[in-house]
Amino acid sequence: MSEIINDKKVFSLHELTTSIQRVIAERANQSYWVKAEMNKLNVYKHSGHCYPELVEKRDGVIVAEMRAILWRTDYKRINEQFMSLLKQPLQDGITILFCARVKFDPVRGLNLHISDIDPVFSLGELEKERQACITRLKAEGLFDRNKQLPFPLLPQRIAIISVETSKGFADFTKVIGKNEWGYAFFRMLFPALLQGDKSVPSIIAQLENIRKVQHHFDVVAIIRGGGGEVGLTSYDNYELCKAIATFPLPVLTGIGHATNLTVSEMVSYRNAITPSELAMFLLQHFHDFAVPVQRGEEKIIAHARQLLQEENKAFGHLVRIMRSVTENHLLQHKNDLKQYSQDVVREARYLLRRSREQQELIRQTISKRAVVVLQQKKQELGRQAVSLEKETQLLLRNIKSKLETTENTVRLLSPQNILKRGYSLTFFEGKALKSATVLKPGDEIITMLEDGSVTSKIIRTDTDNTHD
Amino acid sequence: MTKKISYTEAFEELQQLVEEIESGEISVDELSEKVKRATELIKICKTKLTSTEEDVNKILKELESASDDNAE
Repeated sequence: MSEIINDKKVFSLHELTTSIQRVIAERANQSYWVKAEMNKLNVYKHSGHCYPELVEKRDGVIVAEMRAILWRTDYKRINEQFMSLLKQPLQDGITILFCARVKFDPVRGLNLHISDIDPVFSLGELEKERQACITRLKAEGLFDRNKQLPFPLLPQRIAIISVETSKGFADFTKVIGKNEWGYAFFRMLFPALLQGDKSVPSIIAQLENIRKVQHHFDVVAIIRGGGGEVGLTSYDNYELCKAIATFPLPVLTGIGHATNLTVSEMVSYRNAITPSELAMFLLQHFHDFAVPVQRGEEKIIAHARQLLQEENKAFGHLVRIMRSVTENHLLQHKNDLKQYSQDVVREARYLLRRSREQQELIRQTISKRAVVVLQQKKQELGRQAVSLEKETQLLLRNIKSKLETTENTVRLLSPQNILKRGYSLTFFEGKALKSATVLKPGDEIITMLEDGSVTSKIIRTDTDNTHD
Repeated sequence: MTKKISYTEAFEELQQLVEEIESGEISVDELSEKVKRATELIKICKTKLTSTEEDVNKILKELESASDDNAE
């Protein structure tokens, strides 16, 4: 036991540690249920035993830390329970409720010997974390951010976050790669880890890369598949969910599992149950574009054809009407002409006949009139002949009478007769004296009387002729 | 119109043309021109459906230079 060295009571280290071991074994001699965050599981591949690091944090600061031991057989059993209930193995970073005894080993020091871990508690804790993540994203207004992005008319250029060798990636590329409609997609793989804790920074890093060249892409597709139901809790990680929700392009998820939706799937633009379904979703968008184009083409052809047919029909109809109208018009004119020509002939004949009749009538009238006129002229001539004789005789008698009157007058006017009645004629120098003025006393004048003449000498002349 | 019409514009213009033709607003005079335009648009849309112009190498180069920029 202890020995005395230089008046001091001295223990060996083994004595001390054995003493501590005995004290702890006496005081903490039973199992306790403890809850803690399992920072690291620390599986030793060689032995199969685990040496978890357990911590308790308050406001991010570690306030307690302890190492633990989980023996291979216990680990195996507990891990199976976790896989069955939580769909994921016992892993780093989860909060666990475990049953343990405190053990002190002189060599290994203070340890917790874990005999059992309650999977139901961890499930609840995960669900709590999941709910907290949703609540936080909603509170920050990020939850629906990606869903509110405008979706491209043709999601043609796809940035794929996946693993090249995964079944999900193969399914996806098979569906869109050689589709029967010949739709062309541009795909570029951004390889990332898709399950377990490391998937979070891996996916976030690739999202960052895509963001740098986002103008080359229409959508982002996160594709996982063939990995079973395990290791999906990373998709409930707040940082990853935030990166997806705030991504500037629509993020599509095809993670492929049957349990509750992860938060990443909730915040993505669109979640498909499987990568194949995601591919179908993209093809559907191509159909939504292609079908109206195809229908549009058909409609345009049909309507254009119909329009032309209708116009043709209307035109034909018009031509027929035109022809019919023209024909009718021509026929009408033809009939009219025929009628006119008949009328003209008839009229002409009638006129001819009438003028002949008139001519005949005129001829008859003329001959009748001629006879009458001749007779009249004859009678008139006769009358005139008689009248001429009578008139001539009358005229001769008148002339004879007038001649006798004239003879009497002439006889009465002869100077012999005048001289008989007492008048005389005076001649001076052989001419009849008509004025007293030419005479002067002593002139000789001869006065002719009825029974002879006397010669006288002028004694005196008087110009005044106041006597008879 | 330019050749650089986007397929979204082509799609929308095509939809509008189809509507116009369907509603009978188009006369025979315009028909030929409209059908010609529609044919062009259909060709643009169909070409878009069946081809892409993106180049992986080009994107990788851009990505590298973007990362360099960030590193500096």
